[in-house]
Amino acid sequence: MAKIVLQGVTKLFKGKNSAAVYDLDLEVEDGEFLVVVGPSGCGKTTTLRMLAGFETPSRGVVQIGGKTMNDVMPKDRNLAMVFQNYALFPHMTVEKNLAFGMKVRRTPKASIGREIREIAEMLEISELLGRKPAELSGGERQRVALGRALLRRPQAFLLDEPLSNLDAALRAQMRIELKRIHAQYPVTTVYVTHDQVEAMTMADRVVLMQGGRLQQLATPEMLYDQPVNAFVASFVGSPKINLFPGRVVQDGSGPKVSFLTASYALNGSHGATFDAVSTREVTVGFRPEEIRLATGNDPELPVVKATVELVEPLGSETHVVARVGELVLTCKLPARCGLSAGDTVSLEFDTAQMKLFDTESGIRLG
Amino acid sequence: MTTIDVAEQVMPGKADVLLHASIPTGWKRVRMHKLMVNATLGVLGIVFLLPLIWLVDSAFNTHATASLGAPALSLANFRAALAAGAGGAIKNSLYLAVVSTLIATAVSTLAAYTLSRRRVPFKSTLLLGVLFLTGLPVTLLLIPTYEIFVHLGWANSPFYTSLVLAATSVPFAVWLLKNFIDQVPKEFEEAAAIEGTTEMRILWKIVIPLSLPGILVAAILTFINSWGAFLIPLVLDANPGNTPGAVGIYQFMSANGTVQFGPLAAYGILFSLPVVVLYLVCSRWLNGGFAFAGGVKG
Ligand SMILES: Nc1ncnc2c1ncn2[C@@H]1O[C@H](COP(=O)(O)OP(=O)(O)OP(=O)(O)O)[C@@H](O)[C@H]1O
Ligand SMILES: [Mg+2]
Repeated sequence: MAKIVLQGVTKLFKGKNSAAVYDLDLEVEDGEFLVVVGPSGCGKTTTLRMLAGFETPSRGVVQIGGKTMNDVMPKDRNLAMVFQNYALFPHMTVEKNLAFGMKVRRTPKASIGREIREIAEMLEISELLGRKPAELSGGERQRVALGRALLRRPQAFLLDEPLSNLDAALRAQMRIELKRIHAQYPVTTVYVTHDQVEAMTMADRVVLMQGGRLQQLATPEMLYDQPVNAFVASFVGSPKINLFPGRVVQDGSGPKVSFLTASYALNGSHGATFDAVSTREVTVGFRPEEIRLATGNDPELPVVKATVELVEPLGSETHVVARVGELVLTCKLPARCGLSAGDTVSLEFDTAQMKLFDTESGIRLG
Repeated sequence: MTTIDVAEQVMPGKADVLLHASIPTGWKRVRMHKLMVNATLGVLGIVFLLPLIWLVDSAFNTHATASLGAPALSLANFRAALAAGAGGAIKNSLYLAVVSTLIATAVSTLAAYTLSRRRVPFKSTLLLGVLFLTGLPVTLLLIPTYEIFVHLGWANSPFYTSLVLAATSVPFAVWLLKNFIDQVPKEFEEAAAIEGTTEMRILWKIVIPLSLPGILVAAILTFINSWGAFLIPLVLDANPGNTPGAVGIYQFMSANGTVQFGPLAAYGILFSLPVVVLYLVCSRWLNGGFAFAGGVKG
């Protein structure tokens, strides 16, 4: 079992002037399930490849299990990896692909056969054992790649989008299987994904990266509720958080934020941040579920009039896109809300979770 | 479809004129081009075919001359060629070709893998040097090599002659294989490495199987080069019992003062048979193609 520590890890590729990964500090606890998310090209794969030893950090230290790994060969790191592009051996059958590592480690023949049968059953690839990778679909290949990694008891798992090519049902099932395996053998796992549901449901903690830099490292709930900046807020959550240009001003009784056609007196934690501010441009963020049809129960809450542009009934809920002047917002309303395009509605903003960001830097203010 | 739409927007009404005007001329050009290519290939084919026809004709014709003639079929020429030692010479050629191919292929595979995957100082200079060596005439090296052979007592030994033959093939084989291995995605080796595989085993289980088509091409080229070798065995091995086919044909041709076309042609056919067989066997293999399909995405 192993703790993974990255200290100031930077990776510069030859011929590129921006770093693929920049000054990354990260600690993955022993047995933790860490999920790495971020937009394409943000350095997720590069980070994993540095952990595996395929890339040497340009600066910084990689430690696994308390041992500095910078100069340790991949074969001596005792890790298992699922490659983003699978990297199944094309000249071997699925069975041989799965058996490869165990043969290298001189596992007795009988247990090789048994373990392959077990893992193949779990991944539903038992019928494919005799085929070559070229004769498999993308999702099947991916499951073989996953199987090859799971046949190890390594210090840590490095999984690069291991479920990206599966259909929704299979993905949900594999998610549960992976969590079950992790509960049974709590091996430190670094799991890269594009899928927010995977990030939120599987992670002990989530790392969000952008442009090679760590944006935030937090539990899924914290990431959702307490984003450090506007980028994190808009990356996490679906549909995306609504961000409106706004302005904080002082009137006689204290700071007030105005956005769209509404304005709202800042109080509590929000208020304290702006006590000393005369006026300031901010970005105001509301998640889609924080906007609802006006009830009028709390006259303090900001309310705007909007025109419905698009109604997306999802069965359990309805996503409604509405327009306020130049701006468009998305809200999550109950199922069968009875709205249709062109309707005029009054929308009420629940300010309990309202987020305010500095317009220029995007940093969260309150 | 989109191009039509765009054209119509830019200049209404002109779109169909453009389309209809351009297609026929385009077709004509393609057809002319094809005709020229085929005619050229045809002429070249005939130029190459004539000597071959002569060879086969003469081999089976007891009264063969330098000109083509209706054959009076017989195997007498083959008997004469075999009596002159064609069998032994072909066996000697086979030894030289097989041994040198094994050595050259092994050496160049290892060298190419290293050049492809490892950081080697002055790599591009080295590779250019290798490429330059492939163009160097062997004749240049033959006299010093002979001196060395005499000095070391290696002369008149088929094995050491094979070694020199191998050496002449290595530069090109390295060049070819290096470029081939460059095309094999590195992820396969990485996937093996992360399983704890040693480098030797990765080479043996992953790199070599995946580079097999390239290795085979290099081996065939080496084999053919060694099979037809004339000057090197002539100079380095004076033992008449070790004479390979190419030298044998030459000696046979000038043996009796007058050229015996029939037996000579038969000797030639016997000498080329193994290479033809090699081609037939390997073309199957090579048709398998250079596929890493299914291994990596995209
Ligand atoms: N071998 C390389 N040479 C040069 N640049 C590279 C190399 N590998 C990655 N990069 C660059 O580094 C950056 C990060 O790449 P990386 O593959 O880590 O992204 P990623 O987060 O895994 O993206 P994705 O989600 O699309 O897989 C990209 O800008 C990429 O172009
Ligand atoms: Mg990636």
